[in-house]
Amino acid sequence: MIESVLAMVPEFIPGLGISLLVTIASLVLGLPLGILLALGSLFAARPLQYTCIGLIELGRGIPGLIMLYLVYFGLPQMGVVMDALPASIIALGLMTGAYTAEIFVAGFRAVPQGQWEACGTLALSYWKSLRLVILPQAIKIVVPPLIGWTIMLFQATSLAYAISVPELMSRAYNYASVTFEYALAFTLAGLMYLAVTLLGLWLFRRVGGRRRSLSAAKVAVPAGA
Amino acid sequence: MNFSVHNTPLDTPVPGTGSTAGTAPILELRDIRIEYKGHEVVHGVSLTVQRGEVIALIGPSGAGKSSLLRSINFLEQPSAGQILVNGQQVQGQAGRRGAIARNKALATHRRDVGMVFQQFNLFPHLTALENVVLAQVHSLGRNKDEAVARARQELAHVGLTGHEDKYPAKCSGGQQQRIAIARALAMDPQLMLFDEPTSSLDPELGVEVLNTMKRLASEGMTMLVVTHEMHFAEDVADRVVFMADGAVVEEGPAEQVMLHPASERAKTFLSAVRGR
Repeated sequence: MIESVLAMVPEFIPGLGISLLVTIASLVLGLPLGILLALGSLFAARPLQYTCIGLIELGRGIPGLIMLYLVYFGLPQMGVVMDALPASIIALGLMTGAYTAEIFVAGFRAVPQGQWEACGTLALSYWKSLRLVILPQAIKIVVPPLIGWTIMLFQATSLAYAISVPELMSRAYNYASVTFEYALAFTLAGLMYLAVTLLGLWLFRRVGGRRRSLSAAKVAVPAGA
Repeated sequence: MNFSVHNTPLDTPVPGTGSTAGTAPILELRDIRIEYKGHEVVHGVSLTVQRGEVIALIGPSGAGKSSLLRSINFLEQPSAGQILVNGQQVQGQAGRRGAIARNKALATHRRDVGMVFQQFNLFPHLTALENVVLAQVHSLGRNKDEAVARARQELAHVGLTGHEDKYPAKCSGGQQQRIAIARALAMDPQLMLFDEPTSSLDPELGVEVLNTMKRLASEGMTMLVVTHEMHFAEDVADRVVFMADGAVVEEGPAEQVMLHPASERAKTFLSAVRGR
């Protein structure tokens, strides 16, 4: 068994690399989209506001696999052809945009109205209030749920197997279909997802000494009002 | 019903004011009405504030004191009435539930009117110094060095030298409220509004804040204070306005209203709060 594992690991590692690449690229694409959708759904004028809310619901309501198929198989019918890797990044990036938009909306809403009022009575403009006071507080609030989404996203990259992106899941499946060592291959792949997830969380806690100052900062705004 | 008492402008010049004294009061509210969802909570209140005056707004909860105070800088949009500053009517329009000024006139007005909230509303992600600097730079357009120097000066003014680099969460409630006062003072307001500034503090910490306010009053700051601190109303205020049920029931010199109230409503209220 040890030999089998030793044989699999070097086969799987590049797959893990692609899984991580898809995760990071989807975040790079999806997070700005999420912030824009959140701002639009909270603060934009009516038609744009409803468009943003609609897009968020659409993105969250469609299963990831359908999103992948739409981008990879659907778009070529409209003349947009792309490789599996960029297609998976776009599909998961769109999903990330929709899901994180909800997180950002919750973050903006969690900043107390009193903060807006303090800005208003100091005659700060709308954008300065948002940029200097509201956004920094909202960002702190959304970090933990964003980490949660990132873990979900990392695991959702296994869906890209369905459009033959050579990520970790694909590697495991391909290897097993040749060697018939399904149980071992998927267990190892599962453990590799788990290991990266745990490592990520550990790193977050190490770097995330800021989380303590977040909970402390919340005390500064007394409940009630 | 409309119990509003119109305070006739003073004929005699107010001591301590310049040669223009008596021409126009610093603040005049004319027949202010405030509605919440079609329900009127302030029924046409008029009030005149002269430069250097300290006015305490007292009365039972739900009397409309805070609403009236907040309407002065349009955190509540009055449904009717006029607000005049130095004789000029202010046309205020604010968005995001009243918070952010929508027109220039209101932004200008708000720079002249400092506001201190019951819940402090300090910016929790900024230090005490940064809290006081922010609006000087981004609202008044002062340069950074000048703003920092001024912030240090105002923090010293409220007795917080040595606390400049602390975050609000590391400060006591009394310190937080004094930072909030310094933040408002750094804007060079002509008038300061206090909305129950000590109500969320325990009595010991409230005293720090009240002493700071006393000092401001003695320095000639014009102040309008919604408060449940009867001693403050009695000792520091020049004039006391007693409100109940959305209207001014009684107003006059502090001593008169606090010690010899004319109306039954004020008598009941004062004996109840004093009896505690």
